[in-house]
Amino acid sequence: MTTTKLSRVAGVAALVFAAGCSDSHYNILNTNAPTVEQLTGAPNKAILGRAALGAAALLANDLGGEISFFAIFGREGYNLLGNDPRLTQEMLRGPLEAGGFGGANFTGKYIALRTINEYLKAIDAAPDLTAAEKSASKGYAKTLKAVLLLRTIVRNGVLGAPIAVEVSLNDPPAPFVSQAGVYTYILAQLDEARSDLNAGGTAFPFNTPSGHEIANTPANFIKFNRAIAAKAQVLRSTLAGGGNAAYTAALTALNESFMSRTGALSNAVSYAYSSASGEPNNPISENLSAQRFYIHNSVVSGVQLKGNGQPDNRYAAKVKPAIGDAVNRTQGSLPLHNFKPAMYNNADGTADLGADIPVIKNEELILLAAEANWFAGSKQQAIDDINLIRTTSGGLAPTSLTTSSTNAQFITELLYNRLYSLLWEQGTRWVDARRFNLLSTIPLDRAGDVTFQNMLVPATECDARGLSVPCTPPTQ
Amino acid sequence: MGMHRKILRLAAGLMVLPGLLAAQARQISGTVTRVGTGAPIPEATVSVVGTTNSARTNAQGQFVVSAPAGEVRLQVRAIGFTRKDAIVPAGNNTVNFTLDQDVFKLDEVVVSGAATTVERRQAATSIGYVSGDDVTKVASASIESALHGKLAGVNIQGNGGAPGGGLQLQIRGTNTILGAFDPLFVVDGVIYSNARILGGRSTIDNGASVLEDDPANRLADLNPADIASIEVLKGAAAAAIYGSKAANGVVVVKTIRGAAGTTRVNVSQRLGTFDLLRRYEPRIYASVAEAADPSTGHGASAGTFLQGRSLEAFNHYEQVWGKKRLSYETVADVSGGTETTKYFMSATWKRDNAIEPGTGFSRQALRVNLDQKVGSKIDISVSSVFNRALHARGWGNNCNNYACFGYALAYIPSFIDLRKQSDGSYINPAIGGGVSSNPLQTAELARNEAETFRFTGGVNFTYNAYTSEKSSFRVVGSGGADLFSQNDDLWSPNELFYEFSQARPGTSIQNNGKNRQMNWNLGAVHTLRTGGIQFTTSGGMQYEDRRLLTTRITTDNLVPGQQNVNQGTNVVAAQTLTPERTFAFYGQEDLSLLDDRLLISGGVRSERSSANGDIGKYFAYPRVSAKYSIRDIIGSGSELKLRAGYGQLGNQPVFGNKFTLLNTPQLGGRNGFAVATTAGDPTIKPERVKEIEGGFDLNFWNGRINIDVTAFRRQTTDLLLSRTPAPSTGFTAQIFNGGQISNKGIETVFGITPIQKSNFNWVSSTSFTLVRSNVDSLPVPAFRPPASGFGGLGVLLIAQGKPLTRVIGPKLNPSGGVVQDDVGDTNPDFRMGFQNSFTYKNLNFSFTVDWQKGGTVTNLTQLLYDDGKTSSDFGTPAYEDRWFPRGFAGQGIITVYIEPADFVKLREVSVNWGLPRSVSEAFGLGVRDVRLGVTGRDLLWSTKYSGLDPEVANFGAAAIRSNVDVTPYPPSRSVFFNVAVSY
Repeated sequence: MTTTKLSRVAGVAALVFAAGCSDSHYNILNTNAPTVEQLTGAPNKAILGRAALGAAALLANDLGGEISFFAIFGREGYNLLGNDPRLTQEMLRGPLEAGGFGGANFTGKYIALRTINEYLKAIDAAPDLTAAEKSASKGYAKTLKAVLLLRTIVRNGVLGAPIAVEVSLNDPPAPFVSQAGVYTYILAQLDEARSDLNAGGTAFPFNTPSGHEIANTPANFIKFNRAIAAKAQVLRSTLAGGGNAAYTAALTALNESFMSRTGALSNAVSYAYSSASGEPNNPISENLSAQRFYIHNSVVSGVQLKGNGQPDNRYAAKVKPAIGDAVNRTQGSLPLHNFKPAMYNNADGTADLGADIPVIKNEELILLAAEANWFAGSKQQAIDDINLIRTTSGGLAPTSLTTSSTNAQFITELLYNRLYSLLWEQGTRWVDARRFNLLSTIPLDRAGDVTFQNMLVPATECDARGLSVPCTPPTQ
Repeated sequence: MGMHRKILRLAAGLMVLPGLLAAQARQISGTVTRVGTGAPIPEATVSVVGTTNSARTNAQGQFVVSAPAGEVRLQVRAIGFTRKDAIVPAGNNTVNFTLDQDVFKLDEVVVSGAATTVERRQAATSIGYVSGDDVTKVASASIESALHGKLAGVNIQGNGGAPGGGLQLQIRGTNTILGAFDPLFVVDGVIYSNARILGGRSTIDNGASVLEDDPANRLADLNPADIASIEVLKGAAAAAIYGSKAANGVVVVKTIRGAAGTTRVNVSQRLGTFDLLRRYEPRIYASVAEAADPSTGHGASAGTFLQGRSLEAFNHYEQVWGKKRLSYETVADVSGGTETTKYFMSATWKRDNAIEPGTGFSRQALRVNLDQKVGSKIDISVSSVFNRALHARGWGNNCNNYACFGYALAYIPSFIDLRKQSDGSYINPAIGGGVSSNPLQTAELARNEAETFRFTGGVNFTYNAYTSEKSSFRVVGSGGADLFSQNDDLWSPNELFYEFSQARPGTSIQNNGKNRQMNWNLGAVHTLRTGGIQFTTSGGMQYEDRRLLTTRITTDNLVPGQQNVNQGTNVVAAQTLTPERTFAFYGQEDLSLLDDRLLISGGVRSERSSANGDIGKYFAYPRVSAKYSIRDIIGSGSELKLRAGYGQLGNQPVFGNKFTLLNTPQLGGRNGFAVATTAGDPTIKPERVKEIEGGFDLNFWNGRINIDVTAFRRQTTDLLLSRTPAPSTGFTAQIFNGGQISNKGIETVFGITPIQKSNFNWVSSTSFTLVRSNVDSLPVPAFRPPASGFGGLGVLLIAQGKPLTRVIGPKLNPSGGVVQDDVGDTNPDFRMGFQNSFTYKNLNFSFTVDWQKGGTVTNLTQLLYDDGKTSSDFGTPAYEDRWFPRGFAGQGIITVYIEPADFVKLREVSVNWGLPRSVSEAFGLGVRDVRLGVTGRDLLWSTKYSGLDPEVANFGAAAIRSNVDVTPYPPSRSVFFNVAVSY
């Protein structure tokens, strides 16, 4: 072998060896996505702006599941696709499985909370944010956090919910807090957020996301914050520790919210959807020929008619006959179903995957006002508020309620309006029936069908706490 | 000190020895021929025992080898023949050898180290071996299917009947839960990707998991016709030379190389068909009223549909999968060369037209293998192959919108004719009480194809620095690259019935998987024979670089009639890059002593990898093995070999295990940051397999009986696991190392030549495999691994103290109610293979039988038929026994759908007849040999399973087989006629 050949071999060997030894050669980063250190390592205004947007995007986690599950519990409708027998078995007859559907719609909100908490921790470290901007950012994040926890406690009911969830994965999970404790925490967060927003200057240091157009400055965001506070107060008013004080507090919050008796009822802060590429799609929307979601027959038969004999405008806009393959749908021994939720459809009946879903809308605020006024304020104002919705939104004649009507009569009227105003938006029929102790009035289609008080603690959450499934973790 | 002096003396000796060589004058010559026919055997190695002198025979079988004076022993070895020794007395310089065929392949040379090889007869570990002839005897789409029933310790199972492969090869059980589960494939020294690139089909059919895309594994690119041999390094003691990629065993493939001599040309042509092997029969309705009653049939729409139509029972399986179409394979190769230059070139053109319209598999391959001697000391060999493969695997398995054929059929009553109507339209089964999907419409209009271009090339370089009687030193280098690009083209046009009701009808997908793997190896081997001991010392380094890039564009809401991904409103792009680099040092010492009776081998490989949390840390994988042979134990020439081995292997973390990522959800045209739900482990390290194996080989009756028995016990520690933290933490998974699983098993091969006459020969080989697994410790609650099944319908559950393959599901509690408990176990009790070959003169008849005893399958296909009221036994007590405990009225009991997976399959049958030489030569044109044959694959089955095929996996290949049957692509048998002509 000649020296040249030898040196060539040696050269290759040296190359291989060098490649083998240089650390940087093996330090292969994941180029598919940013790593969490990019958020927590050296945060700045631009990075935090993305985190704020991420938090807003995650706000819609679990939403489709909540709407459709609660709609099924409250018989606003059914899922009759038939690809999963549990949808008409477990969901209608129980027992709910903590490892299956019973434990669903829990995790997504805590995934969002993890991001919000990381965001909150990072805000102070950003060198290029002013104090006001930091304050505005915190107020924004805490308000979103309250929205998520409010939906969590609606889902969990008497189970309560974990709150201090910023634990390291090596530590025990955060303890469950009682239902009342969760409401207290939510309201405290909202109040803190309001203070932060008050000190937050005139603009957020980031672009507020789609769906937040009416709450795009700290000042306007406070109106959204107060709307959520009002809703939290109303929801807890029927619980121990709530009562009239909560209703009164709700009225105060409503006055500071974006509620307007003269403004458009559709004014809302919304979960934004879009049919554009890459954007989140409305999770409920589907063609009228699709065989998945149906309006419960009791919603069809229970609608009130306008003077001209036509149904409530809300019904006309939100409920449409099924077409094509979707006609005469059933599963198991359920009756045939022929009506589809169409609130998220285009005029021609096709799915509008870009239809927004309100987080909270003016129409709901007025109904909250009606309820709070009836129980804690002026019954006449309550009747006026109900009538505002009945006539404006429903095209119906005013209510026959008077200030001397019973609470039960008022609740019946209120719940009718809440159902048709908020149909397939948040499972209001189930939530309302539960808080007024009326779950037994939910119309069931088959002997043996039931409805539930609350969803379950997910099996994995029980596992991580060393509790046997299903579990009711002790609350603090 | 004394030791040092000895080494110095040795080294001095080593340097002097090459000089001594020239002084030798004695040359022994002779010929090597085949027993019986007397045909010369080229490329046989003739060596002088006790020295490193050796020579190779030329095309005429002649050799000349240098030898020391005095009596010497010569040994001849040749591929395919049993080795032979002969004593050559002093003064005699001629010796001729006649060699027997090596029916049990004991003299084949197999890998024993990164740079060393050993004969199987001598190996200290059990190494499976299949020759190329056995791979190509019966037409197969991919090499795995040609290995069925031929290897002990290897469980080869199909995942469904789709054309072009899609099998899984599992060596010595399941050794990981979440890590890589494929064996390492090494083809001519190049690490060969067996990736499964997901094409995106589940996006269209709403599959429960992307794993339901049912891709082919890329081993399908490897042309069985090019294969010379397949070695399976089963145990850790053997496979540890491949370190942290070898936890699941190593399959070493060698392709055919040229031999010196006249140019040889072989051309073979196969023609045949595939045909549906098993099917579901249609339900026969007694009356229109029964068909239209919602409780016994399909509701009012069925009644309306049947007005004016006769209540016929169409056989949908026959309509969809009943067609036989011509398939073919043409293989041509040319080989030859001189002592210094040898070549092998082959071309293949194959097309399997499968039973489902529009589906099939084709492969075109062009291979050139070249061996070149440069001077007297340098050997260079180059292997290269370019191929194209086209997979159209159809629409099998689970889906959630009835796009999949079998799934839809479970919900389409038999009175609906799926065929194209006279006006060119198809009936939408939904109008007759079925679902919105007509498989024949989908087959005609939709497309699901994957086209792959692949180049694999490698070079091996040996520099025989010096060779003397006592020692030799050589430097070996090898390297190569495996590059492929797979393009999936999927189109589900708007007019398909199942697209109708979608919010965004019409989907088009362009998917690309681009793979680049390179490995380089540089080593040196020194042999020294002194005092009756041969020391083989080897060492070196190895570098591996892998990179897989997948990109996908998915477009929904297409403009009608358009398939370009531009022609829709919802364009989603995805890209994933998974790179990995490994660098390793290795060293090995082999001692052969007591006249080769005792062999001791030990080595260690130490490697670092970018996949580990600590990229600078070297992980060591040691191994040691020994064998001792007792000769002439039962008659002269018999041999009992006792062997034992211990080794450690690794299984690298999966790319990304160490990172906690940010998701980037889009809202309003911008991307936000959100913490991803999987928490990575920055300290992640490879899983570690430790294995001890022991066994014996007994060879007697003049080599006509060979028994190989091996028992092993392997443990995997530091498993890559995913813990589910409390969901309230916002994480749904946390990656970490921990726990331990173990596998133990027995594998045996019993080979016998019951009849060995001059014109009649019967060779038989029986393999047996038994493996049991156990989860020894699990630091997380029992959990379902990926692709474990469907909740409530029988799923795998990993739990401490239980086998990995345990299936749990709802079953009746003896004390009342329903419990989640053991309902099955997918692991077979054992597997056996029977290979028999009968040769009478020029006529050969061979068959291979594959037997699986035990194991369970979850027959969800039947569940769907029962749910769809389309079972052929609807209304009978058998149906009611199944459905009522399961159905709405019942308690969801799954036990009746868990069925035994036992089967006996006649995998291969072949009849081959070689025309007598005088006849074939009469063709002229230089024809030397003409062979005619008929081969069949999967001709006969016997199984207790009521479904189609107990070898089924809805989720495709997986670490742990879940054997879930959800309306797979049905199995088919194939028959091919072939003509092979040699020039």
